[in-house]
Amino acid sequence: MDLVARIQAGDVDAFETLYRQHAARIYTLACRMAGSPDDGEDLLQEIFLQAYRKLGSFKGDSSVGTWLYRLALNHCLDYIRSRQAKMNKLTETLDTEHSFEPTARRDTPIARMDLERAVERLPEGCREAFVLHDVEGFDHKEVAGLLGIAEGTSKSQVFKARLKLRGYLRGK
Amino acid sequence: MHPNEDALNAFADGTLPAAEAADIERHVAACVSCRQTVDDLREMLRAASELELREPPVRAWSRIERAIRLEQQGGARSVLGDAADADARPKGSRSDSARPGVATAARSRAALIWLGAAATLVLATMVGLRYAPARQAASPPPLGATAQAPAGDAAQSVESELRQAEAHYENAIKGLEQIANAEQNALDPRTAATLQKNLAVIDQAISESRAAVRSQPASDPAQQSLIENFKTKIALLQDTVALINEMRKGNEAGAARIVSGLKEKSN
Repeated sequence: MDLVARIQAGDVDAFETLYRQHAARIYTLACRMAGSPDDGEDLLQEIFLQAYRKLGSFKGDSSVGTWLYRLALNHCLDYIRSRQAKMNKLTETLDTEHSFEPTARRDTPIARMDLERAVERLPEGCREAFVLHDVEGFDHKEVAGLLGIAEGTSKSQVFKARLKLRGYLRGK
Repeated sequence: MHPNEDALNAFADGTLPAAEAADIERHVAACVSCRQTVDDLREMLRAASELELREPPVRAWSRIERAIRLEQQGGARSVLGDAADADARPKGSRSDSARPGVATAARSRAALIWLGAAATLVLATMVGLRYAPARQAASPPPLGATAQAPAGDAAQSVESELRQAEAHYENAIKGLEQIANAEQNALDPRTAATLQKNLAVIDQAISESRAAVRSQPASDPAQQSLIENFKTKIALLQDTVALINEMRKGNEAGAARIVSGLKEKSN
């Protein structure tokens, strides 16, 4: 019996095997998309719980790894959209009268951060575009579709992210 | 004239048509500023392609496994979905087969403990940890809302949210502490001492940040500090529960990884 069939039959050990095979990739994606290891860990848990619940409907049209990756990506995107909606409400008021950078960020010694840490500090929007394009390897059309933005916006967000990262890593 | 950002970006990516790429190549050869930009973009691309995978914390699987068993125990959802559940197998068969290696005689007490742990962990991670102290206290009310929403309301709202978050964290911590304390004899004395030492440090930090929040309720750094300290304590208690679980399963390698992490945190 293959791994998926064993999981569908209720074998938690088989599900653990699936977890061991794919957890690092999913966790890495979640951390980078969310910009935080704490959120990445929560997302990892939610993604695998969702996978466990949905594996019954897995038809085998793609590999289980591909299926799991798509599930994870969609879950991360849902989370980011939800978080952005909350942030937008907040920043609308900040932008109108108090456009400023938080003091704590200005004082952070970002010159010493490695790229991974620097990615976490990217603003919402350009971080996701950067991760999807430059790290995960999607083209701009795919990134635009995933994030619900125009292709040109994807390009400008990735460019913005690269320049910001350059600044972070040089300590500007 | 310098190429625009999109063109430089596409040039660095290597996605420009050949003719346009040749134009930019010539410009970049003569323009220090654009050459520097392209070099930086390429360097960033190279670095991004070399980023490595990150291993999730050891406790992550324990949390997932417990949540799955909690669901199975509750029967709320199944791996097969409701439709498949109804026609694929006799009732109860999945529940039995999905708990390999768990002896029935020893199961009841342990099951209660770990089900409690799962409930607490789900609460801690899915409700509490998502709280991020808002900056509303420092921000003005929406335009046009000044007359209806005095500044004091926003501050009160933030304080109220913070109190709710504190209550979530404290509940989660209380549940985890009960489990950890009840099962602490499963740990060797040195590990238990390390845990106690770490917990004492975190408790002190929580006391200090709580005092800071009380004296400056609108201070964002004070709120952040308090929440971060709660999260640290929950993570440590989760590690403790995961460690106990690994030791009960006889997984020495898993337990060693967790102990190693605890020692690093204490240094």
